[in-house]
Amino acid sequence: MKKLLTLLRKRPSFQAWLLLLPSAFWLFVFFIAPLFIVLIYSFLERGTYGGVQWHFTLENYRRTFDPLYFKTFGRSFYIAIVTTIATLLIGYPLAYYIASRPAKRRGTLVLALMIPFWTNFLVRTYAWLTLLRTHTGLINVTLMSLGWIQKPLPLFGNDFAIIVGLVYGWLPDMVLPIYAALDRLDHSLLEAASDLYASGPNVFRRIVWPLSLPGVVAGSMLVFIPSLGAFVTPAILGGGKTLMIGNIISNQFLAAHDWPFGSALSFVMMAVMLAATLIYFRATSDEERRQL
Amino acid sequence: MSETYAVELRNVVKQFGEVVAVNNVSLRIGEGEFFSMLGPSGCGKTTTLRMIAGLEMPTSGSVMIYGEEQGYLPPYQRPVNTVFQNYALFPHMTVAQNVAFGLEMKKVPKDEIRRRVAEALELVQLTGKEKRRPKQLSGGQKQRVALARALVNRPKVLLLDEPLGALDLKLRKAMQSELKALQERVGITFVYVTHDQEEALVMSDRIAVMNEGNVLQVGTPEEIYETPTSRFVADFIGKTNFLNGEVVEIGDGLAKVVLENGAVVEASVPEGKTFVRGERATVSIRPERVYITPANELPDVRNAKAFSHLPAKLVKFFYVGSERRYVVLVGDTEVVVQAQNVDRSTRRCHTGDEVVLHWDSAQARLLKE
Ligand SMILES: Nc1ncnc2c1ncn2[C@@H]1O[C@H](COP(=O)(O)OP(=O)(O)OP(=O)(O)O)[C@@H](O)[C@H]1O
Ligand SMILES: [Mg+2]
Repeated sequence: MKKLLTLLRKRPSFQAWLLLLPSAFWLFVFFIAPLFIVLIYSFLERGTYGGVQWHFTLENYRRTFDPLYFKTFGRSFYIAIVTTIATLLIGYPLAYYIASRPAKRRGTLVLALMIPFWTNFLVRTYAWLTLLRTHTGLINVTLMSLGWIQKPLPLFGNDFAIIVGLVYGWLPDMVLPIYAALDRLDHSLLEAASDLYASGPNVFRRIVWPLSLPGVVAGSMLVFIPSLGAFVTPAILGGGKTLMIGNIISNQFLAAHDWPFGSALSFVMMAVMLAATLIYFRATSDEERRQL
Repeated sequence: MSETYAVELRNVVKQFGEVVAVNNVSLRIGEGEFFSMLGPSGCGKTTTLRMIAGLEMPTSGSVMIYGEEQGYLPPYQRPVNTVFQNYALFPHMTVAQNVAFGLEMKKVPKDEIRRRVAEALELVQLTGKEKRRPKQLSGGQKQRVALARALVNRPKVLLLDEPLGALDLKLRKAMQSELKALQERVGITFVYVTHDQEEALVMSDRIAVMNEGNVLQVGTPEEIYETPTSRFVADFIGKTNFLNGEVVEIGDGLAKVVLENGAVVEASVPEGKTFVRGERATVSIRPERVYITPANELPDVRNAKAFSHLPAKLVKFFYVGSERRYVVLVGDTEVVVQAQNVDRSTRRCHTGDEVVLHWDSAQARLLKE
């Protein structure tokens, strides 16, 4: 015991490692180990009723390059990007509005933004189903009974429906980081810009927007990544026709009983997301990282 | 004759809800003047400055810049620039980009911007630091960038809100003389807010002393120090002693006052103030204007018309090298006396002695209580 203490005193870096041990342990149990299991599975052959057979193979990865899956990857990307842009277009003004309210009211508004999201995700997605459905959906029924349209609008069972569901689902994840960035913004910077002959739009373009970019980047990542891997929303609002990569993966585990192929798809998707993240950070961060 | 002032405030009032931050302030600031607003925390200095900048709109009254009514003009349409207390440098821009900002907003041609930014940085001795970010600068350097960022626009009036407040004492002293020299070189009108009386005295052409939203006195540093017109100004600028009493006689610029211990002394009556016989009043006398001698001795003859003499008891003595500091009791009022360490007569005063205080009556001020 005494030996250990003297060792600790002599080697401060050793102390740091020791303190890291508990968190490293949990990180391993909940994060690295499962990932590792998935990685191993992706190189094995499928069992008949789920599970795996311990034979090494690269077949699963070869199959992910099948044009069929490639197309689904492409569509998932497209949906995730449109979702991210739409969420940003709605989320930024919302965050700006909340951040420009008097301090007392900001908390209430943030809470109001969050409360709907305490309801179960599935319930909220089904709520959109009742709104968007082609013939019985509330929107089409209302518009037709008002006589504004003759045929129901194609609101359901397509990319549009999925994007609406995703935008709605991830809006707070976009608003909160942007709000945090805007809230941190030093008000005197805006006054200084205004004092230096910048009109309202110029103050926004030259000061507010660049300084809120870290929030925009964080929010975009928080929306883009789960949108790319989404499977509940497309399953419900895609009407079974428009599928995303998340649905294919979940199908491999739940319906097709092909765990190794599902694992391989997951890994390819992770690699793609990682690449997208890195590119995104490269493109945006050189400037912003410095002021963080 | 109607003269045009760089800045003129007419009966300006600013209320924040119930709080009256600025209460009926009228000021005239001449072209090229180094004008300071001095006062304790919360007296409304920043608010007054912000109303000139257009960052705050007066509740009533008017702000004129070079004879032009500013009304509700936004800050970006006023010919003034501000150096903010916390500098407010743009963190995502380099030093050069910060300085160029105002010129870019005014759509000045690119090469002219480059030239003027270089000039401005040279003026504040920051050449070579163009590419740095505000984060990579020391407090003094940030202060210079803020100054360059404002001066580069050649404003008609530069507003400065405690620009040296965040610097340590040594740097502050150095920047004081630098800033003053700079102002003389560029010839721009400076409106300078500070709560540091020494800073205001050293740098300003004229000072406005403020308290609780009011301007109490405007004058040159010498006028403010030598001839304060109110108890607050006498107390706030430099050190002073107050002796309370009752006016018994009013003569030609001088008044006789009987103090609480029965002694009668004289003091000068500030211009524009009237006192009546029997009125309670305060005599203010600076520590360095009082001579102290052992009882029944007179100080060296000086060419003063009238001298006041006041018996007192010496209770404390401090030797400060260049000066000797005495604390005496007049009745139960403490009075501080500061003597240059050259006056031989003072050396014969010892703690516990009965002493006499003397002053040139013109140097004491009679003030409302
Ligand atoms: N935006 C505001 N809302 C409410 N009250 C304010 C506001 N700005 C200033 N005040 C009040 O007005 C008064 C004057 O404030 P001001 O900032 O002008 O003081 P100051 O002389 O600059 O003080 P300091 O030396 O501390 O900077 C204070 O009582 C302050 O609380
Ligand atoms: Mg202030």
